[in-house]
Amino acid sequence: MTSQMMINQGIKHSPILPIGPKPSQYGIDPALVKKRVAELPGMCSLQLSELFPELPPVLFPGGSGALERLYEVAMEELRKVDMSFIQPNHSVNLLASHHGFTLLGGQPYAILLKATREAILEKTGCKNIRLRAGVGMRFRETEEYIKRYGLEECFGQGKTKGVAPIDEGIAIETEVGTLYGIKSVYDADWIVHCHHTDVREVHFHRQVDKAVKPFGMSYARIETRSTYHQNLGPRAANFTARAIFESEFVQNKFAFASFLNVGPHGVIGVDADNDLYAVNDRATFIGCQLYGKVMTLFGKIGECIAVLDFPCPVPYVFSAGVIYANFAGANQDLYDMEGTPLPPYTWYTEAFYKKDGTPLLGEIPPLNPAIKMCVHNYAWTGYPSAFFSDHIPTVVVGQEQSDLFDMEPMNIEYMSHSVVAKTTESAMDFAYKVTGTDKVIIFDGAMGGLNCSQSLADLLIAKAPEVSEEVEKVLMPKWFRQRGVDMSILETLSHR
Amino acid sequence: MKRVTILAKVDPNICTGCKICEKVCPVYAVKVSDRKSQVSEPDCRGCANCADRCPVHAITMVKRAEPFTVGVDVSRFDPGEIKELCAKAHFNPEQVLCYCVSVRAEEVAAAILEGCDTPDKISSRTGIRTGCSIECIQPILRLLAAAGIPLKPDLNGWQWYGQTVTAWTLPQEVKNKYGSRGFYFEEDKALLEQIAAIDPAQ
Repeated sequence: MTSQMMINQGIKHSPILPIGPKPSQYGIDPALVKKRVAELPGMCSLQLSELFPELPPVLFPGGSGALERLYEVAMEELRKVDMSFIQPNHSVNLLASHHGFTLLGGQPYAILLKATREAILEKTGCKNIRLRAGVGMRFRETEEYIKRYGLEECFGQGKTKGVAPIDEGIAIETEVGTLYGIKSVYDADWIVHCHHTDVREVHFHRQVDKAVKPFGMSYARIETRSTYHQNLGPRAANFTARAIFESEFVQNKFAFASFLNVGPHGVIGVDADNDLYAVNDRATFIGCQLYGKVMTLFGKIGECIAVLDFPCPVPYVFSAGVIYANFAGANQDLYDMEGTPLPPYTWYTEAFYKKDGTPLLGEIPPLNPAIKMCVHNYAWTGYPSAFFSDHIPTVVVGQEQSDLFDMEPMNIEYMSHSVVAKTTESAMDFAYKVTGTDKVIIFDGAMGGLNCSQSLADLLIAKAPEVSEEVEKVLMPKWFRQRGVDMSILETLSHR
Repeated sequence: MKRVTILAKVDPNICTGCKICEKVCPVYAVKVSDRKSQVSEPDCRGCANCADRCPVHAITMVKRAEPFTVGVDVSRFDPGEIKELCAKAHFNPEQVLCYCVSVRAEEVAAAILEGCDTPDKISSRTGIRTGCSIECIQPILRLLAAAGIPLKPDLNGWQWYGQTVTAWTLPQEVKNKYGSRGFYFEEDKALLEQIAAIDPAQ
C-alpha cells in the first residue's frame, strides 16, 4: 500500500446513514424502498471537513443537543434585530419555502421558524404570528411539512398555511410594471422572510440575489414565475425577485430576514437582519466559496454512475449540498456569468432543443458527459424531469416508482426514456456492466459529507486541495466581480 | 401535444362546493353546481390543480380507462405564418414552451391560427400548461398578444391575471440601475434574439 493510499484510507469512512424515505403523495410508500445504494458493497463516505479543512465549523449535525443549541443561537441573533415597529396588535406573516425542509432532515429549518416566532413574541408582544409556507411545483408539499414538523402546534390552529402559485393573487406594482404575488403571503401588517443560504438551483439564480429569490418564486404567482423562466433570459431572470422586493408594497411590509446559514456540510449559524441585501451579500459569499468548491470538485469527475436516493424530485436530490440538476451541469462553471451564458441544464437551455433532439445553438453545452448512467433508486415526482431521462441513460428501481411517474402530470414522458429494474442490486449491476466504470456518486442527502464508491473517493481526495486553491485564488475573484460584490464581505463575514 | 392519461374524480360526499377547483382549472373542466364540484371528463387535461388545491381533499386523480392525445398538427398551417407569429413574440418556432408536456412555440402558434383566442382554449387544444400549470403562461400570453388578440383575464377565476415584463420591454433606467449587480440584461436579450432568429432546418 502506498503512502497516498494509506492517507486515503484514513479519510474514507463507512457510509453515512442516508436521509430516510418519507411518506408523501409525491413519492412511493417508504416501505417499498428496500435497499439504499450506500448499503451496497464497495461504498464509503467522505467528510467535507476533511476534504476541505478550511470549512467553518457547524452547529448541525453535531450530536445530541445540536438542535437545542441551534435554537439558542437563533434566539441570540434574532434578539439583535430591530422589531420596534411591530406593535402588539399587529399581524405578522413568517414566510417560508419548501426547500428549507429538505435540508439536513428538515428539523433545522423548522427550528429557525419556531425561534423566529418566539423572538417576535418575546420582543414585541405581538401574538398574531402566522406561517405562510410557499412551494415549488408540489402544491401540497408544505402542507405535509407543516404536519411533519409540528408547526401548527407551535403557531396555533388556523395560523399555518401552505400556499401555491395558483392561489388567489395580488397585483404588485414594480419598477418594471405589474407583477403578481400570492395574496395570502401578504395578508398581514408585516412579513418576515425566513430562508437559508443553501444554493440549490445555481442553474437558475446563478448566485445573483439568491437571498431575494423567493419573492419572485415561492411567494409569487404563476405570472411572475413564468416571467422569471421565460421572459428575461438565463442571467437576468432573478431580477424578477428584486423587482418585487423593491416595490413599495413589499417594502412597506418587510420587517426583517431570518436566515439559516447553511453550508454543504451543515448548519453554520443564523443570520438575521433588517437589511436583506446585507444578508444577500453574505449569502453570496457562502454560495460561491463553500458550495463553489464542492461544485468545482464535482466538475473534475470524468466518469461515474449517478445514484438518486433521496426524498425529493429528481433534480433536487443532494450530495454534499449539490443537487443532481447542478451535477448534470458540472461540466461547466455555473457561477461564471460570462463563460457559461447557458448552463447545460436550465429551463432556458431545455427550451432550446429542437424536435430532432439537437440544440438550436451549437454552443449549448451537453448535460454532463461524465454521467454515464443514472440509477434512480428513490426520488420523487413533482418536477418536470423527462429532460434528464431523455439525455442520460436512466434505470428506475421498482415498477411502483415507474407507475407513480406515469400518473404524474409533469412526468408523463419520464418513463418513456427510462428502463425499470426490479431491485437496487440489479440496477447497479446493470449500470456497472454497461458503463464499465466503478465510480459511483450517491445523491442521498448524507449529512456532513457524501457517500460514494471507493474509487470515486480516491479521485475526490486527490483533487480537493487543487480545487480549493483554484476557487480561492482564481474563481472567487472573478465570480464576485461579475456580481458586483465587494470582496471585503469576506472580512465582515469572518466577524459574525 | 399531450398524452392525457389521468382524470380528476370528485367525491361528492366530501365536496363542500367551495369553488376553488373552478378557479384553478386552466381549461375550465370543473364546474360547481348544486354545491358540488363536477368534472367534465372529456375536457379534463389531467393537470391535478383541482385535486392539489381542494381544501377538503375531495378530488383525486385516477387513470383514464381510455387515454387520448391532444395536439395541433402544425403541418396543416403555412410555415411562413407560424414563423412570423413566433418571431413577433420573440420565439423560435421549435423552442419548447412547456417543460412538462414539451409543447413548442409552433404548436401554440398553430392553435392560434386555428382559432384559439384564449389561454384555456390553447391549453385544451395542445396540452400546454396542463403539467405544472405555472411556467408557460407568459409565452401563451405573448403569442396571443403578438397575434393581436386582446387579453381578458377572468375576473371570477385565478387562472391568470396578466402579461408582464419581457427582455424587450424592460425599462432602460432599470437596466442602468441594476446592471452592475450581476444581471446580464442586454446579453440575455441578445441571446434570446439569436435563438429566435435561427432556422431550425439549418
